Amino acid sequence: MIRFEEVSKSYSRGSSGVSDISFEIGRGEFVFLIGTSGSGKTTLMKLMNREIKPDTGSIWVAGKNLVTMPSWKVPYFRRNIGVIFQDFRLLPNKSVFQNVAFALEVIGKPRKYIHQQVPQILKLVGLDGKSERYPDQLSGGEQQRVAIARAFVNRPLILLADEPTGNLDPDTSWGVMNLLERINRTGTAVVMATHDAGIVDSMRRRVIEIDRGMLHRDQTRGVYGIGV
Amino acid sequence: MSVGYFVKETSINLWRNRLMSLAAIFTVAISLSLVGSALLIKQGVATATSEWQGNVQLLVFLQPNISKPELKAVEAELHSLSTVKGYSYVPRAQAYSDFRRLLANQPDLVNAVPESAVPTFFRVSLVNPAEAPAVGAIFKGQPGVDTVNDNFSAIHTILTISNVSQTVILGIALVLLVSAAILILNVIRVAIFSRRREVSVMRLVGATNVFIQVPFMLEGLIQGLLGSLIAAGVVVAVKELISYSIQHFSIHLLDGFVLTSHDLFFTLVVIVLIGMLVGTVGSTVAVRRFLSA
Ligand SMILES: Nc1ncnc2c1ncn2[C@@H]1O[C@H](COP(=O)(O)OP(=O)(O)O)[C@@H](O)[C@H]1O
Ligand SMILES: [Mg+2]
Repeated sequence: MIRFEEVSKSYSRGSSGVSDISFEIGRGEFVFLIGTSGSGKTTLMKLMNREIKPDTGSIWVAGKNLVTMPSWKVPYFRRNIGVIFQDFRLLPNKSVFQNVAFALEVIGKPRKYIHQQVPQILKLVGLDGKSERYPDQLSGGEQQRVAIARAFVNRPLILLADEPTGNLDPDTSWGVMNLLERINRTGTAVVMATHDAGIVDSMRRRVIEIDRGMLHRDQTRGVYGIGV
Repeated sequence: MSVGYFVKETSINLWRNRLMSLAAIFTVAISLSLVGSALLIKQGVATATSEWQGNVQLLVFLQPNISKPELKAVEAELHSLSTVKGYSYVPRAQAYSDFRRLLANQPDLVNAVPESAVPTFFRVSLVNPAEAPAVGAIFKGQPGVDTVNDNFSAIHTILTISNVSQTVILGIALVLLVSAAILILNVIRVAIFSRRREVSVMRLVGATNVFIQVPFMLEGLIQGLLGSLIAAGVVVAVKELISYSIQHFSIHLLDGFVLTSHDLFFTLVVIVLIGMLVGTVGSTVAVRRFLSA
């Protein structure tokens, strides 16, 4: 599903980025990407989503070679990938329903389909009854659920979550983790960057640890602490 | 693709930036009003000038009862003069149709004059237009000649003035059109900036460039179009004003200045096309510069 081969990416002004990263993530896997702040987790996420291109190495995602992919194909590729962030990135002047519907609207889905899919997905994330609220009328956890609904409404093959619990208190974080697990059980691969040791330790999933841009550890059923 | 989506997004954009949009629309309107007026004047002058096509600077009107020998004598004289570059005889039927066409602004006068009352004449073009009065004097009073119209220097002055003013008007209009395009570019830039959140979400969920760009392009196009429609209204008013002035103040030198509805239609089409072009250019540049991934 995702394959990195000796991938390096450095930012201009000599900033580090990541170097010589290789790993493979299979269909439907759940993987934690851990490492301290600035270690390169977000950079890896952006590489998987073709937001940026590597300097060297090759990247395959969902059967596509991201290095040779022409830019006009990128939007179609992205429809297979859902992404969520620490800061939710909802549109403040749209309601919950409209935020999720927007994701379908802008890829040209018909109205009928949208009006059938959105309530269904809002129910799945536990937000039915709140579809007319605006983001500022929701708790952080609820906002992240809206973001998850938006990322998942297109039934992507892969969900990339960049520190999705970074802004949430522990209880709310667990709710979000539950939801991600449920999404994972539908067959969607989940890659989650985090430095929440509690979550990583209790979930016992595969852990890929990045340290200063280098791959430090890749362990099935890993915990946060080992090797630190 | 859903048309409804584009209509909705474009109207939201326009409404959010309504003050700047208005500024852009009015700049387009003002510049295109100038362009349209200049075009109208140009076409009116072209009609007026058709009277002197072939550089005619002199008309020798003949008496209705002119005899064959008298006619021959006038023609021989024209033939022999070295200052005459060329001449042609205009028979009655043609003289009458010219008369009707050139005085189309004054239907009362046209209807009052029967064909038989229209004189036949020679159109004469001169090597040097400035000699018109001198050459005219030769024919004045000659047997069979009624009058000689050598009053063309005034016309030439008017032509020159109209040419210069058209150039000036078009120059100003061009500058304004460029400012209009830049204004539209800026409106779109602001629109893109104020919607950067939406745009980043669109990229995230896999919206194509076309989908992202079209609302902004449409916004610019509509601004250009609205501006040009206002200008079209102004141009229609200007045309009415010109026709009205010529009729009511009997500006005889402008008698040939006829604006047909065909001229008007052509002008309006040109204006609307330019308006859409300006809007499209402005928004395309903005989208290219500020929406690049
Ligand atoms: N746009 C950028 N320009 C320059 N340097 C960057 C940029 N983004 C990230 N970096 C650098 O690359 C390294 C990895 O950053 P990042 O991938 O964001 O780490 P993480 O997500 O693990 O905190 C850091 O040293 C960071 O400063
Ligand atoms: Mg990060």
